[in-house]
This record gives sequence, C-alpha cells and structure tokens, in this order.
Amino acid sequence: MSLLERAERNIDAVAWQGEIPIQNRYTVGLAGERFLRELKESGRLLGSRCPECDYVYVPPTLYCERCFEKLDDWIEVGPEGTVVSFTIVTQALDGTPLADPDILALIRLDWADSLLVHRLGKVSLDELEIGLWVKPVLKPKNRREGSILDIQYFAPAYHEE
Amino acid sequence: MSREVAIIGVGYTGFRALTPDVSYKELMYEAAVKAYDDAGVDPRSDIESFVTVAEDFTEGTSIFDEYVPDQLGAVLKPVHTIAGDGLHGFIAAYMQILTGALDIVAVEAHSKASNILTPQHIMAYAMDPVFNRPLGANPHFIAGLEMNLFLSETGTTREQCARVVAKNRRHALYNPCAAFGATIEPEDVLASDTVAWPLARLDISPHADGAIVVVLASKQRAEELCDLPVWVTGAGWCNDSFSLENRDWSSAVYAAKAGEMAYRMAGIRSPWQELDFAEVDDTFSYKELQHMEALRLCRPGEAGVLVEEGVTELGGDFPINTSGGSLGMGNLLDASGLARLLEVILQLRGEAGQRQIPDVTTGMAFGWRGLPTTSGAAVILSNGYEEV
Repeated sequence: MSLLERAERNIDAVAWQGEIPIQNRYTVGLAGERFLRELKESGRLLGSRCPECDYVYVPPTLYCERCFEKLDDWIEVGPEGTVVSFTIVTQALDGTPLADPDILALIRLDWADSLLVHRLGKVSLDELEIGLWVKPVLKPKNRREGSILDIQYFAPAYHEE
Repeated sequence: MSREVAIIGVGYTGFRALTPDVSYKELMYEAAVKAYDDAGVDPRSDIESFVTVAEDFTEGTSIFDEYVPDQLGAVLKPVHTIAGDGLHGFIAAYMQILTGALDIVAVEAHSKASNILTPQHIMAYAMDPVFNRPLGANPHFIAGLEMNLFLSETGTTREQCARVVAKNRRHALYNPCAAFGATIEPEDVLASDTVAWPLARLDISPHADGAIVVVLASKQRAEELCDLPVWVTGAGWCNDSFSLENRDWSSAVYAAKAGEMAYRMAGIRSPWQELDFAEVDDTFSYKELQHMEALRLCRPGEAGVLVEEGVTELGGDFPINTSGGSLGMGNLLDASGLARLLEVILQLRGEAGQRQIPDVTTGMAFGWRGLPTTSGAAVILSNGYEEV
C-alpha cells in the first residue's frame, strides 16, 4: 500500500521491462496515391482545390476540411515555394546529438495553401530565413518509390545547378 | 440555466522526476484516497461514475482503460477512459453531472513518464505515417517550427520566452509538490543546448510522475458534503486540424475557440479584467505566451512584454502559473491539464500556502494535449465569494 509502506532502499524497487514488435501497413488512399504516383512518374506535385473555399490542399485530400465538400479539382502546384518557418534540429529522433543539424521547414508551394513539411538541403545558415524561395530536389526517376522521400530536400531556388 | 456543479475534493501525489518505489496503480490509489478523504465520500457507496484520461502508448499497455477501475474504487461501477488532456476528462465528468442522471463523479489522470523508455519514438509515432513520419526527424521540430513563426510574427523574443521559464521555475520553489523549482536566469535558458532552434533544452518542460483525482458533485450534494465548494462556471474545448499541412501555425486557434466557449458559458466578456489569475499550458516556454494571446489574456504580441514587466509573476497584476506550470512542476503527460486545474482549486480555496494570491474569486485552467496535437480545453472556476 503506497500510503503506508514505501520501498526504503533503491535496490528494493523492482521493475520489469517489456517490449513488443509493432508493424503496420498504412493505406495511402485515393488522393494520397494520386499524389505519390504523380511524384514518382512525372516528378510533379499535385494538389486538390476546393472551389468553395478557394483553398488548395497539398498533399491532396478527397474532401475539404473547411466546408466538407468532396473535392475533384486536381491541380499542379509548385515546384517552387516559400519557407514559412524553419527549425534547426540538433538531435536525432532518439535524442542523440546529430553530427550535422537537420533543417526542417514549412513550405508554401506556389499555388498551394497547405504548408508542406520537408527538409532543407544545400542551404547555408547565413541564407536561411523565413521567406526563402526554395525548389524540390528529387531523386532520379529510376530510384523513386512513390514516397514523400522521393523529394530528397528543398534547396534555395536561386542556386545554379 | 443548467445544473450547477462543484468540485468537492481533490487529491494528488508526486510530482517527481522518478517514482521507482510505486507503480502507476499505487500512484492513482494514493491520489484517489486523498481526494475521497478531502471530499468526505466513499468511492464504493457514494461515487456513481469515474472518468480517467490515458493513452495506451504512454502506458505501455493495450486497452489501458481496462486497467483503471480497481485502484480507484471503481470496480463494478460506470467507468470510462478518454483520450485527451486531463481537462477533457474533467469536462466529461462535469457533463455527466449536467445530465441530471448522476450526482457524484470522479476524474483521474496520471503520469508515469519515468517508465517510458522511448518517449520521442512514441511522439513520432503520432505523426502522419505517410507524409510526415518518413522524414524521421526528432518530433520537437514541430515546436521549433511553431516557436520560430510565433517569434517572427509577434515580435516576441527568445529572451522573453526564457523569462517564462525563469518565472515558472521560481514559482515552483513556493510549491512544495513541484519537481523542478529553481532560481535560474533567462540567460541560463538561452545558453542551454539547442534542441530545435529557436527551442532550447530549458524551454522544454521536463517530465514528472504523479497522479491527480478530482471529485465533482451536483449543487445539492456539494452543499451537503462540502464547506468550500469550488464552482464550475465555464468549460470549452476545441481541436484544430491535426495535419501539419493544414493546421493554423500562426496562432493557437484551438485555444482561442476553447476559451471563447468557456467565456461565453461563464458570461465573461473581458477575461483579462474578469479573471483574477490563470494556469495556462506551458509545455514549452513560448506556449504560455502563445496561449495567453489566444485566450485574450492580453493583446496579440503583448504577452512577451507582460512577462518582462512582471505582470504575470506572483504578486503581479495577473499571475500566471503560480503552481510553477509544467516547466516548474513537470510535464505530467495527460495529467498536465488537471495539474493546472489543481492550482486553480487550491488558490480559490485559499490553500495555496506561500504562493496564495489574496482575495481571488475566479480563475481559469487551460490545458493543451502536447505535441503533435492541436487540442485544448479550458475550465473556469469560482469560489462564489464576492469580488473585494
């Protein structure tokens, strides 16, 4: 009983450790599949537009979360966009320090209203700022898998190739 | 007018970084025994229903709701567990009494965060598996993005955020049950390791273990059982879009809407003038400021200046997080909102000891469910005293 008795020595405090393997499949869905196929095959970024709200979703969705209408207006967005916010992450997912900082950004692609979350690359800390104009750097077509990681990162759009 | 509902008892245990001696069940049991004693009720005969708030992944058990009745005295009684912040659970219990079907209901939330060995993996597992999780980034990046945008749009500085940390950790020195009371300077926060710039290690509330149980009752039962009932005068909650792509990054709209719902119910037009104090989620330093602005406790862009001027300190015109907040008491996972509520209850009963604010009649608790959510809840309480 926790109110009357306590373990008084640290070594008396016993703990059992457990773990389970967790694996899942995530069906991408009709709209998500359209986005990922287009990215893989043509390297284009697709959004869905709500004519009622004049809002473009990227990645596209089948419905508008604002007015709840079904969406069927697919438009190409980007590929360039603007950095709305960024952060310089210095820890890996498990909390260990990263050798090179991981720069994550919210990117408003041209013609889109949603903010795409992705990584910035080939960018110096000096030029890193809100409002930075960026473009996606894709994997070569033969290595693309239909994943958000087919975009390797976004880089400043004014850099020479 | 709907039924009136009061808080008639509260019990809590913790709050410490480690609780190796007791299981989560024993933490809950201890908080429950104290709450039932405080309320003068027997859980087996008097309490008609129980609500708990918990999340399977942080408990390390599937269908965790099945694990809650025994240690609360709730076996063979109506019990349900909800997902959300502790205040969402409180509001669920409150509404059970509003129905008229029940008169005494208990709500519980706890944290045994010290037993979670991979907290960031759990947080990352909450992100969209197709479009966000593959990035494999440390989930604090979401707070980093939001903080950078908040500073940029409002003109708030990292220094002002650091002052929130210094204030709340100082407040915690006056709270005997707070885990992380300390005298630190804003410079210490600025000099701490970067996690997701501009967010630094000391901008993040450290986890703590603990449990909180609150007993609510209808007006009639409250007046029979309790000399000092604390009345629920307003409640509101709201979720923004969960998707990182479509949520509102500029302001905490979920907090603004939850606040408006609670203010409307409590008949409050000008929260800054009509509330005496507030406990506002400060999971991250900038969150206290962002939530203050969303809850109309100040004008947009003004929160940083108010903390600089000491307005939100103990002894200031509008004290915020006199408990120490999550920065000073510890991040209690789902119990964080109930920790905010606990302080409002203690202040309104005049039981806040060294940190008691004089002559208070009305206070608000606001809880946020934490990363990566956009889910918040607000509760307004009053002790029914006349304004002095």
